[in-house]
Amino acid sequence: MGDTELELSPAQLEEDLQKSPSVSSTSTTSSFSLPSSPSSGLHHSDSPSTGDTLLTNSPTLDIITEGVSELSLVIDPEVARKACQEVLQKVKKQKGDPENPDASSDLVNGTAHTELGDGGGTKPPKIREEEEEPLPGSVKSAQRRQKNNSSKQSWLLRLFESKLFDISMAISYLYNSKEPGVQAYIGNRLFSFRHDDVDFYLPQLLNMYIHMDEDVGDAIKPYVVHRCRQSISFSLQCAWLLGAYSSDMHISTQRHSRGTKLRKLILSDELKPASHRARRELPPPTSHGLSDHGLSPSKRTHQRSKSDATVSISLSSNLKRTASNPKVENSQDEDRSSSSDSLDLETGTPVRLTPQREFIKSLMGIGKRLATLPTKEQKTLRLISELSLLNHKLPARVWLPTAAFDHHVVRVPHTQAVVLNSKDKAPYLIYVEVLECDNFETSSVPVRIPETRIRSTRSVENLPDCGVTAEQRTGSFYAVSNYDNDDEAWSVDDIGELQVELPEIHTNSCDNISQFSVDSITSQESKEPIYIAAGDIRRRLSEQLAHTPTTFRKDPEDPSAVALKEPWQEKVHRIREGSPYGHLPNWRLLSVIVKCGDDLRQELLAFQVLKQLQTIWEQERVPLWIKPYKILVISSDSGMIEPVVNAVSIHQVKKQSQLSLLDYFLQEHGSYNTEAFLTAQRNFVQSCAGYCLICYLLQVKDRHNGNILLDSEGHIIHIDFGFILSSSPRNLGFETSAFKLTSEFVDVMGGLDGDMFNYYKMLMLQGLIAARKHMDKVVQIVEIMQQGSQLPCFHGSSTIRNLKERFHMSLTEEQLQVLVEQMVDGSMRSITTKLYDGFQYLTNGIM
Amino acid sequence: MAQVEKKAGLLRRTSSKKPLKEKVVLMYDEIFAKDNPTKTNPHFWDELFLMKVNLEYLEAKLESLDGEEVMKIQDNINSLFHHCVQALGEEHQIKVVNALQTLCALFRGVHQKNKSASGFDIINMLMGFDKAEHRMKDLMESLNTLLCGESSDSLKSLCLKLLLCLVTVTDNISQNTILEYVMINSIFEAILQILSDVSSRRQHGYDAVVLLALLVNYRKYESVNPYIVKLSILDDEPTLDGMGMVVHQALTEYNRQYKDKEEENQGGFFSTLTSMVIASFLDNSDLLMTFRTNEAILLALYEAVHLNRNFITVLAQSHPEINMATTPAIAAPTTPTTPLGTTPPSLDMMNSTELPLDPNLQTSNLLITFLKYSSIVMQDTKDEHRLNSARLCLIILTCIAEDQYADAILHDDNMNFRVNLHRMPMRHRKKAADKNMPSRPLVCAVLDLMVEFIVTHMMKDFPMDLYLRCVQIIHKLICYQKRSRIRLHYTWRELWSALINLLKFLLSNETVLLAKHNIFHLALLVINLFNMFITYGDTFLPTPSSYDELYYEIVRMHQVFDNLHCMVLRVSTNTGQWKEPASKVTHALVNIRAIINHFNPKIESYAAVNHISQLSEDQVLEVVRSNYDTLTLKLQDGLDQFERYSEQPKEAAFFKELVRSISLNVRKNVSLNTLSQDILLKEFSSIS
Repeated sequence: MGDTELELSPAQLEEDLQKSPSVSSTSTTSSFSLPSSPSSGLHHSDSPSTGDTLLTNSPTLDIITEGVSELSLVIDPEVARKACQEVLQKVKKQKGDPENPDASSDLVNGTAHTELGDGGGTKPPKIREEEEEPLPGSVKSAQRRQKNNSSKQSWLLRLFESKLFDISMAISYLYNSKEPGVQAYIGNRLFSFRHDDVDFYLPQLLNMYIHMDEDVGDAIKPYVVHRCRQSISFSLQCAWLLGAYSSDMHISTQRHSRGTKLRKLILSDELKPASHRARRELPPPTSHGLSDHGLSPSKRTHQRSKSDATVSISLSSNLKRTASNPKVENSQDEDRSSSSDSLDLETGTPVRLTPQREFIKSLMGIGKRLATLPTKEQKTLRLISELSLLNHKLPARVWLPTAAFDHHVVRVPHTQAVVLNSKDKAPYLIYVEVLECDNFETSSVPVRIPETRIRSTRSVENLPDCGVTAEQRTGSFYAVSNYDNDDEAWSVDDIGELQVELPEIHTNSCDNISQFSVDSITSQESKEPIYIAAGDIRRRLSEQLAHTPTTFRKDPEDPSAVALKEPWQEKVHRIREGSPYGHLPNWRLLSVIVKCGDDLRQELLAFQVLKQLQTIWEQERVPLWIKPYKILVISSDSGMIEPVVNAVSIHQVKKQSQLSLLDYFLQEHGSYNTEAFLTAQRNFVQSCAGYCLICYLLQVKDRHNGNILLDSEGHIIHIDFGFILSSSPRNLGFETSAFKLTSEFVDVMGGLDGDMFNYYKMLMLQGLIAARKHMDKVVQIVEIMQQGSQLPCFHGSSTIRNLKERFHMSLTEEQLQVLVEQMVDGSMRSITTKLYDGFQYLTNGIM
Repeated sequence: MAQVEKKAGLLRRTSSKKPLKEKVVLMYDEIFAKDNPTKTNPHFWDELFLMKVNLEYLEAKLESLDGEEVMKIQDNINSLFHHCVQALGEEHQIKVVNALQTLCALFRGVHQKNKSASGFDIINMLMGFDKAEHRMKDLMESLNTLLCGESSDSLKSLCLKLLLCLVTVTDNISQNTILEYVMINSIFEAILQILSDVSSRRQHGYDAVVLLALLVNYRKYESVNPYIVKLSILDDEPTLDGMGMVVHQALTEYNRQYKDKEEENQGGFFSTLTSMVIASFLDNSDLLMTFRTNEAILLALYEAVHLNRNFITVLAQSHPEINMATTPAIAAPTTPTTPLGTTPPSLDMMNSTELPLDPNLQTSNLLITFLKYSSIVMQDTKDEHRLNSARLCLIILTCIAEDQYADAILHDDNMNFRVNLHRMPMRHRKKAADKNMPSRPLVCAVLDLMVEFIVTHMMKDFPMDLYLRCVQIIHKLICYQKRSRIRLHYTWRELWSALINLLKFLLSNETVLLAKHNIFHLALLVINLFNMFITYGDTFLPTPSSYDELYYEIVRMHQVFDNLHCMVLRVSTNTGQWKEPASKVTHALVNIRAIINHFNPKIESYAAVNHISQLSEDQVLEVVRSNYDTLTLKLQDGLDQFERYSEQPKEAAFFKELVRSISLNVRKNVSLNTLSQDILLKEFSSIS
């Protein structure tokens, strides 16, 4: 198969497909329908991701039954059987010796695919395959191939079966093809892709499901339903996205109800694993309790059940001989809760999704209530108190969807939360302590540890929260024998403390016997007096204060500045220290921005484009740096954002430091020619070039300094993609330049004549060339989302055309270089950028 | 049954006009006769508990008995007690109610009579020695069941009243020998359960907390009190929270009443502009007199803070400010957790997420409420009662200031609050001008409160004890800041000038004060506070200029320190009881004197060189700044050491007295309540 064919755009192929006269040939058709069989995926063992293929593939067996039950009216059983037999024959032909499916089921440990093991002993696997084969898609393709066979299709098929056929192409064909057979094929082919790959295109898939014709929907649905069965988080993700993308439609439309129906189906929690399987999923109760650092014996309650609490109490009673409620010590409780567990499984109350939905709902509720408060200060206080109440309900089987690993939320360090700067909404940033786990659906929910538990350890160590490091403390021990040095003499008091505090540990709670009398210390005055210079004290004071210039001042009007400036690692360390869960090895800290009243669908689109471009640049080895941050769309007016850590906005930098950007770089990273500065500068240039391209391609507007972050390594990161493509703020005609490039930025790059500035332009050119090469992958993302969308970024009819034009496919590389030069020149000279900054300063106080 | 009761009621109403006796009274008389009442009527006891209790009569009857008579009818009384206890297990609530009230009357009547009698006599009289243990065990078990079970609120409330009644029958709780059985048969768990449950806490929380506070004080210093042990290791969050909520609500209620009253008075205050100052002074003391502080609740707070380390978290647990008459309605749903065992597990955790918070309410927590309360209480310490309340407030603050975790909360930069402390209206300052002060860490409010106290209590009848506590609290907080390197942005200057003024006051009233107090101890503490700032200022002062200001303040007020030095020198050279304490102050003054002696000449010469008669603050600061390097200070040991608070033996007497006064108060209130149980009975008769 030649490269040229692969390079053909889907549209072109599609055209060929339409033009060609239909010549029927059984062999091609059967091979066409072949990949729809899940077993074929199994046999493609030459594909690089064998394990993944197996994993994703075998569960198709479940979906098949699902499909049959739902579409039984449509499918002619005769046709279905025929199709199945054909498929089966093909399979036999291709593979002389069928693999042992039991072996594959063993691999699928993640999903505990037990029914394969169930009857596997007696029933030959092939028969099972036959029975479960009638996939709606394959049936349809079987029906339609009579009409539509062409020799070209075999080319298309060869493309589809080739290794190079990736999810991006699949999505593209799904969108562009008008051919139900192709759509159905791809619908089935989805099962063979890695989950992560498909998840990236989930918004596209669901938007197609909602807004495109029935055939596409039918092709997508089995896959979605199947994945929903597998995973709670996928279910919720789908439900949220379906809700969000359906919101633009007219209520009465037929299609609207399709998306809503699926959403209702998911939320009703009917798409849960069959009950007998669920029970088998239960790991033996003891296996976890022992290994998982005092986690409760595994339970399948999705909330912190009463029995969890009992466990915690019995644990603590081991430690402290607690006098607790007689009721909780009653074993009856445990019985009751465990019986409710099994009840939970059998009756199937919609509890599977409930905890997480409630968790998200309460976070959104907080946002809504905060918005009613007039001042930042009140908002902050309220936020803290609301979160402290939320804390009482944790740990629970809830998680942050923006995280990259499975976990349970155990605590929200409420005092760390901050309200972010926003005029009328109340977005806020929370930090969330989680415990990493293998699988949040099956792993047991951690036991609640009371807030005060940390205190016992703290009082033993006595100093960890005092900012005195270990070295300082050991230093203080030496000071006993060595009074010569002034500095060390100072630490005498630390030793005194150790002496005083230690007895307290043994005698705590009740009255202390060991008192440390003032007199006993002052009586030591007989020894040589120590003299100190007042100047030293004064000097130390100013030095110590000068040593911490990088922390921002506390400003009640901008509470987020301080919180964001603190280096992430330090924050993690600090919060871990103060957390009762901090000692657990699987403790992690996450953060999330909760947005309430904001539509994040455009942000999600921008994230996808950024992510795609990042992949492209990585693939093409262009060292551009961008930071796509994760977006979770919960509805058309709420969602969550993964915060960029170790970054503050340029506005905050300038306001707090009162320095120019270059001076701030010098202050933070060191003077010119130091390695640190040069690294930071290079980071700045690479990120700047990346984001300039992004801003140009996506037409990102509203680029004031509050929307541009600067991280601790010198990268800039653009945030807030509220105005992209066809929309711009208030249409005041500001920001007409291609992107924002202020002279301050150029200064950091080393001026117009510097090497770094040339490097910057070179990077832009390379980036543009690379992006151009893969334009389809980028445009596709945007194009599909335009379907049925009322988002302002799709305003007008020429959004996609303009987007494509910005890739300048027709220009030579030399011409592109000229273009880049022109854009950079234009942006630098742009009066509008300056005007816009001035405008922002006047209206919003953003520097 | 209901009919019987109604008939009894009808009978009583008609008979009350005539000298005819109630049936219940007749039955009481039978008990007080020497014969066994069941002889004539085998159903005597059954019937008795169906009658409405006549508390006055029963109590009076018990009271009127003299020793010999008691001996004769002891069997009957024992039998009555026994049947009361038995009746508690009855299904019929009327019987239970009557039995509870009868028990109340028994306990009280017996004690009123036998003021002089020993505890053992009383036990013998009520239960009989041999059976006492058994009877009390049954009683406590029944009460436990009633309190923990599904019984009605009125019944539970009556149980608590009975317990309160039992606990307070003697003035000195430790002499109440019956309580020994309450120690053995603990009702701690029942109290906890009441506190952990939202609805029962709302109904009975106050009584439960007071009861607990009193039980903890039974023979506190002599024996092992199981309630102390259990309270100190309690770590169930909902329960601790519940306790905090009860205290919080009680204190909030007091604060609210005070505020209402104050506003009321201010209406008149503005109408009579002429006698503004005097009026406000008078009104204020009137105001304070009108309602008493709630010592029982304060004692409960103290015991919780003092005994239970876990309680400290509850102090900072945020609650929306509980406001006005809607107190229970608002407070209840905000209680954070569903207590164990009340809701089915499938429903619990995430369901009550929709918090019914009014956006207008200000967030508050127990600590803030307590600080506000303290600021009111400390305003006037003239009468004994208020003095004790203020002392207890300061003791609680001492405990808080000593606790690492509490300090961490107090100094948490992320938990800023605006605490409106009440300030005494005084001639030389405007009242409450600081409406728009910034919200700050809570420790600022504590320091403000201390400064406020120092400034406002320099009077002839000097509350030395409170001053010592006050200065020690400041010292403890500063020690924490030094140790943790926390640079608090606080206007330390206010503290410095308050302390200097205090020294000035001590000096000018030396002779008067010295007759009663050891003023040198206080002076030493104050000077050592300054020494903390001087020698360790680099570890906790917010800015270099604040260190300059410290020197400025010392130099500016050098007269006070000079005088103090003269005075302590004079006293320490004489022989006498004050010799040693005074010489300690002399030693402590070394650095301050060094500073004064170092900078004064410099400032004078600066003035001379520049021909300025009066230097401005900036100029003095300039001199200070440029002359640090030639100044040598002596490092003093133990500046950051403090005596840790301990209740025994120092405070034992205070707490004994406090508990006695609380007991008296509770007894008075309980008796009133139990007597007005008519409503309760009516409720039951209609239910059954």
